[in-house]
Amino acid sequence: MKELLNKMRVSVLEGEEEDAVALAKQALAEKLDLKTVMDEGFVLGIREAGQLYAEGEYYLPDLVCSADAMKSALAILDEALKKPASGFTSKGKIVMTTVQGDVHDIGKIIVGAMLTAVGYEIYDLGSDVPNVVVLEAIYKIKPDVVGLSALLTTTMVEQKNIIEDLKVAGTRNGVKVIVGGAPVTHEWANKIGADGYSDDAISAVELVNRLLLREGMKA
Amino acid sequence: MMMQTQVLSPEEKKMIHEESIRILEEVGIKFPSERALDILEKGGAVIDREKQVAYLSRQMVDAALKVAPKEITLAARNEAYDFRMPSTFTGYHMDGCGMNMVDLETGERRSSVLQDLADSARVFDEMELGYIYWPPVSPLDVPGQARSIAATATGLINTSKHIQDEMKTAKEIPYVMELLKAVLGDDKLRVGRDIYSVVYCTVSPLCHDTDMLEANLELCKYKVPVVALPMPAAATTGPASLYSNVALSNAETLSVLVMFELTEPGVPIIYASSLGIANPRNGLFQFGMPETIIQLVAIIEMGKYYDLPTTIAGCATDAKGYGGQAMMEKMATNLPLILAKPDTLVGFGMYECSTTLSLSQIIIDHEVARYCKRLCEGMNIAPETDFFEDIKSVGQGGHYLKQKSTRAAVRSKEFYQQELLDKGSYDEWVSMGSRDMNTIARENALQILEAEQKAPLSKDVEKVLKEIVEEASIKLAE
Repeated sequence: MKELLNKMRVSVLEGEEEDAVALAKQALAEKLDLKTVMDEGFVLGIREAGQLYAEGEYYLPDLVCSADAMKSALAILDEALKKPASGFTSKGKIVMTTVQGDVHDIGKIIVGAMLTAVGYEIYDLGSDVPNVVVLEAIYKIKPDVVGLSALLTTTMVEQKNIIEDLKVAGTRNGVKVIVGGAPVTHEWANKIGADGYSDDAISAVELVNRLLLREGMKA
Repeated sequence: MMMQTQVLSPEEKKMIHEESIRILEEVGIKFPSERALDILEKGGAVIDREKQVAYLSRQMVDAALKVAPKEITLAARNEAYDFRMPSTFTGYHMDGCGMNMVDLETGERRSSVLQDLADSARVFDEMELGYIYWPPVSPLDVPGQARSIAATATGLINTSKHIQDEMKTAKEIPYVMELLKAVLGDDKLRVGRDIYSVVYCTVSPLCHDTDMLEANLELCKYKVPVVALPMPAAATTGPASLYSNVALSNAETLSVLVMFELTEPGVPIIYASSLGIANPRNGLFQFGMPETIIQLVAIIEMGKYYDLPTTIAGCATDAKGYGGQAMMEKMATNLPLILAKPDTLVGFGMYECSTTLSLSQIIIDHEVARYCKRLCEGMNIAPETDFFEDIKSVGQGGHYLKQKSTRAAVRSKEFYQQELLDKGSYDEWVSMGSRDMNTIARENALQILEAEQKAPLSKDVEKVLKEIVEEASIKLAE
């Protein structure tokens, strides 16, 4: 078991997505204790990756590979982990999207990788996602935070529209909304009633940690 | 002899071309528009409708290159500012799409507004090497859908030079055409003078944007010149090798060329790129880096390889404001590019990876541009510059100050006439207030804004333009 857990840690640390998926499948097939698999296997790997990034050893591509390996392992284990019996809890759920009318998603992908690396569960809806789909996802996933990215001055208004829609649906208070993207500013975030804004991925992690009042590894 | 930069051998240009053809043929490029895919299919492309991907053949690229104009004039309201491509020197643009402004009064960075565009156009109008006004920041005090229209109108009102902007949606076209019609004073939308052109950006890697694509397909019928400007950043939105990132950018530019030449044969396309390299730590685009500059030079060479008019991004910095980093990167993103001789370079006045505008930096960048132009002109070895008779006449010791040829030469273009640089004595500098370049440039900008505009539009035309913007603000917001 110890050797298997180490393989899980290493698969995520080294960003070997296929290995991580195979190991997650093996964990299910062998009916291993999933809390142990997560806490002493995959989670250790992503924490180490985050630590190496913080120390300057890892670069962004390393972190993105680790985050994707983690996400893929989680996707395999998802259903089993949702059962209370699994005993596993993540730091928090975050829905991320590039707003409708906007296809630029590199910034959001980077923020997602950073947040994964410090232990958050990321649900990336993609880019040019219709507002109605974002709202459905928020309703279904019940995230702690929703991150809305916009690169164009003409699409940033959708961040405002989604916040307004959440208010109308009566679900605004249940979720923290953070906004980002090149044209977005603190001023804009305040104006539209967002809970936070950051101008790069590193401060986005600090922002989420702050919003959720949880101690996270500083990226 | 003239100085020049070169990073690609003839064989290497061919290799990049071949790599780009391979990308277009084997990987394909996404055109998320049924209208675009229909045109491309008719033109011989293999189409995957489900993925909205077109596979463009070598023959399609060759055919597009054949019909694309090799000479383009970016005309101006004032004909003295017409810019002909290919050009013997590099003309400058303002750089578009920023959203911050360094306030001229307070020096603080704030969100950009419409008045910033008016002021920047006034300052730009006075810059001798500035030819193409691309509204450098988004007027965030104007309703979203009408921003480009308001920016174009403000440019037309405040400078008599060529106007360039993005056409983000097809809804904007009628308004822009109305603006041009009002200025050109002719019932015809097109009167043979292209005082307006557009910048068309792909979404790297290998995608076109639906709205911008459909707007520009529609615009093709007016034969408005199009600057094809991909922006792949090596390691994030582009492959992590300079060679392959240049090939990717080149493939995207060629895809723009194929698309619009099929739509309207002979439409003027300007070969361009604003490619670069990402910061591998945080993913941010890095303009002022050696690898970005090397790639930009390679792109200029590829544009010339195709014999197309060529525009290049440059004159840029990642610094947040005036200072050492800004000036180091400004010079580094000018000189090597200018020495590769692009027709035009984008653009003056920006900090923070071309997102923040400063009026004083427009004036400083113009000094950098003039300085680089002089370097580019090199040394004239000719009978008229052979001053042997002076050497003989002065002999050993003495000086050349009284030579007739000296008096003429100091007024010639061999002697660079600086406008902002401090070349005096220390005491003189102190007596002038110990000012740095930014302070002098700021004073110059204020003077320009306080002076009368040189060639304003008539009040009647200005009124019409403002009415068109007003109408667009209301109707496009609906």
